[in-house]
Amino acid sequence: MVTMHSVYAHDGNPHVSPGKSKADSQKACVEPTDVMRKEHYLFLLHQRDETVIDGIRTKNHSLANCVDCHVSYDEKGKAIPINSEGQFCQECHVKTATNITCFSCHAAEPRFPNHAKNISNGDIDEISAIAKRIEDE
Amino acid sequence: MNNRRNFLVKSASALTMTFIVPSLLSSNVQAKKPLDQKVSNKQSWGMHIDVDKCVDGCTACVDACNEENGLTGFGRPETDSQWIRKVKIKDKTTDKITTMPMMCQHCENPPCCDVCPTGASFKRVDGIVMVNQHTCIGCRYCMMACPFKARSFVHETLTTQNTNAPRGKGCVESCNLCVNKIDHGSKTTACEDACIKSGHNAITFGDLKDSNSKVRLAIDSNSPRRLRNDLNLNQKVFYSNI
Ligand code: SF4
Ligand code: SF4
Repeated sequence: MVTMHSVYAHDGNPHVSPGKSKADSQKACVEPTDVMRKEHYLFLLHQRDETVIDGIRTKNHSLANCVDCHVSYDEKGKAIPINSEGQFCQECHVKTATNITCFSCHAAEPRFPNHAKNISNGDIDEISAIAKRIEDE
Repeated sequence: MNNRRNFLVKSASALTMTFIVPSLLSSNVQAKKPLDQKVSNKQSWGMHIDVDKCVDGCTACVDACNEENGLTGFGRPETDSQWIRKVKIKDKTTDKITTMPMMCQHCENPPCCDVCPTGASFKRVDGIVMVNQHTCIGCRYCMMACPFKARSFVHETLTTQNTNAPRGKGCVESCNLCVNKIDHGSKTTACEDACIKSGHNAITFGDLKDSNSKVRLAIDSNSPRRLRNDLNLNQKVFYSNI
């Protein structure tokens, strides 16, 4: 069974997207939610130059970290690409008729060369455990 | 040209072999730069390649690079991306055959950057030459300017990129000395690591400005040369016994 959870988006109404993400168990994003809703792309735009040109790799405004936290996993623990229908990024961007070009180059789910590190192969309990650990930290 | 492409196709079929590539967070991390600090010119990353140790038929470095950076081919060897390739040369007088890995040579005076109309092709302050794919317009001038055929153009829509190596259609790309790994504190690149694991030890990576680094020891104890030294590009990849 796919767990349904709520996300709150552009119109302030709850939206459901299938799966379970680390973000579900977080109380807050890296900035206040209303700021993130309106200005997330500005943070990303700023960070991208710092990262590519100056090698700054902080996590808070990094796209890789957004995906890591907000990507949903299905009941088998497999990541659902964040730009697929009904998923976190796509849902709002469809509604607001804005193309997301990020994912023509960036991975839409956590994907690393060392496949042992790829938690999408783990089960949902493992993901909950990770979310819990983040909460505890 | 055709040969090196064929070579890559063959090696791509060996991709399923497991190579132990240190992850971003592995124990390999030592004395790392804080993530919020800019890279500086206190480091200058470079490589030494001892071609006598490079083995004909071995593709460990190529496979590891492909895996690290998520380079999967489309069965179109003329256009599939390659960041590192094996080159075979034969000395006409002695018939001695030499094979060696070739990747972006990370020129101190990079012609690829001189010709780039947008500044997308750039040299980081620590010497890594790379493409800022956010501003690359895909004109491919840099590919023509590079004397070492180090760069590839992505012709196809990609969907299985690695998180650590964003890349996409319409942009040029090349070896960036595993910049993501290095920024996270790794002291080795995927190709060096694979070469060591294969037991050949032909590739040595490190900081050229650190007189105690393994790459400096390798350079100081051999008499390496830069390829096409006549071009005065001052590359940071050195070759010995060639
Ligand atoms: S080897 Fe080619 S791509 Fe690399 S820095 Fe030199 S000119 Fe640029
Ligand atoms: S292809 Fe991209 S990086 Fe190369 S010269 Fe053109 S804009 Fe610059």
